[in-house]
Amino acid sequence: MNTIRRGFVPTLVAAALTIGLPLSAQADGHEGMDVPKIAPTKVLEGLENPWDMAFLSDGTMFFTEKCKGLSVRTTDGTVHALYGMKDSTGYPDSGSDLFCEGQAGMLGVVADRQFANNRTLLVYSSSTKYHGDGCKTNFDKCDGNIVMRFKVSDDLMSVSDRTDIVTDIQYKPFESNQPFGGPGAHNGGRIRIGPGGYLWVTGGDRHRGICPQDGELLCGKVLRIDLDGNAHPDNNPPKGFDKRIYTYGHRNVQGIDFRPSDGKAFTAEHGPWHNDEITALVNGGNAGWDPAQNTGGRGECPDEYCGYEPNQMDGMDPAVRAAYTPMSDTRFDDLMPPSWNNNGFSQGTGSAAFLKGSNWGIYEGRLAVGIMGIGFGDTPPGSRIDMISLTTDGLGINGITRMPLGFSTRFRGLVMGPDNALYVATDDGDIYRVTAESMR
Amino acid sequence: MCRIPCVAAFFLALTVPEQGFGADRELGEAIYKKTCVSCHGKAGKGAASYPKISGNPVSYTTEKLKAYREGIKQGPNSALMIMKAKPLTDEEIDNLAAYLEHAE
Repeated sequence: MNTIRRGFVPTLVAAALTIGLPLSAQADGHEGMDVPKIAPTKVLEGLENPWDMAFLSDGTMFFTEKCKGLSVRTTDGTVHALYGMKDSTGYPDSGSDLFCEGQAGMLGVVADRQFANNRTLLVYSSSTKYHGDGCKTNFDKCDGNIVMRFKVSDDLMSVSDRTDIVTDIQYKPFESNQPFGGPGAHNGGRIRIGPGGYLWVTGGDRHRGICPQDGELLCGKVLRIDLDGNAHPDNNPPKGFDKRIYTYGHRNVQGIDFRPSDGKAFTAEHGPWHNDEITALVNGGNAGWDPAQNTGGRGECPDEYCGYEPNQMDGMDPAVRAAYTPMSDTRFDDLMPPSWNNNGFSQGTGSAAFLKGSNWGIYEGRLAVGIMGIGFGDTPPGSRIDMISLTTDGLGINGITRMPLGFSTRFRGLVMGPDNALYVATDDGDIYRVTAESMR
Repeated sequence: MCRIPCVAAFFLALTVPEQGFGADRELGEAIYKKTCVSCHGKAGKGAASYPKISGNPVSYTTEKLKAYREGIKQGPNSALMIMKAKPLTDEEIDNLAAYLEHAE
């Protein structure tokens, strides 16, 4: 036996060396895995709350700054301001109705797939233009978030032909008796082009208890519309609902993307001190958030919003709070159960993008999810980007790997570029290009 | 007997910074990175809807933090701030304020 061992080991080493693999890889099967080299590089810095980016096929990058406006970074690295908010300076044009407050401002941006032909760009922002008489209290409808369509000039120096294609997404005008209770709360605001070229618009509950389950209000919904703002003909919300609604029952969706393998929409949603969620959307489905008072076994709540109850001003076990006002309430028959709930924590899920390209190796097809970091009670802040492998049916996960960036910060906006790099906006004012290099 | 110590105390009173004797910016930075950075961003510069908190006089920051510690509401994000400030000692508040005054 000893003779055999003495002969076997050197033979194995020689074989491994011959085919260029370390012995350890041979032993555990890792020779089949392509773990890419991931590296971040800063492409823009010194911005003010960059929120979202949109790319053209040549690498041109449009980006929003929440309180300043829309700009573009051309392929040679030059930045042009395009369309500012009220009182912004340095922009060739601006909207006197556009404003920022709290979490609200200029948020999502996306280019039409036919941009090369029609120069169409879409932008989500808060606006006073459609307030009318509807914003006198927090209990009014208050249409204060809109989606604008622009035409971008050939030289990327200006935008024109602003058309407001959605004018009635609700906004929170005043402070309320809640933690984080300032005006401008929970606007959603991510916009993306999905299968068939339709526009998807994510919303938030704007701290109004009735929003997510109400069929006429657009707060707490995900919309699927055409680029004129009309409902997709196949949207299937419950009877009596606004036909633009694809899903309802949401709290604050700041991330949405479509799985490359089947086009299925997944959202990333920020939880209320419990349960950040990734959810596979179902046409007409209910995400299960219902912060209304006097329902679901609850009584009255401060300012008619139970979203942080019970004991809303103090920390407590997230599971106890989750049992009182669940993110995904199982009393709804049409509930879309979450794929992932962040182990019951809320740490601030901000954005999500599927990793595309073979350069991502074993992570290709995973959902990158930006976590901004909110530490409340004993919850660790947890600022990071997770790469989540979702099950084929979208109802669970296979595993999570933290993206090895070497730093942590508030990761606000994630979007794939045409170079198969992940672009990341941070609340610190930076935009990073995160590359993955296959090791094959 | 008291002359030398009293003179020393007098000059100390004139020269000690207002955050109090011995405020330690490095310890303040350590607390900041553990407790505050995930909302207020790097060096207290502010992020998202969380305000800039660097560059203020030590007295301003200590006053704010002590009020939060006592449960006094000061703006819409008070619930979070009250919870964060509750466990802080006077010394930790002094250290934080000293760090934030010149944080870059």
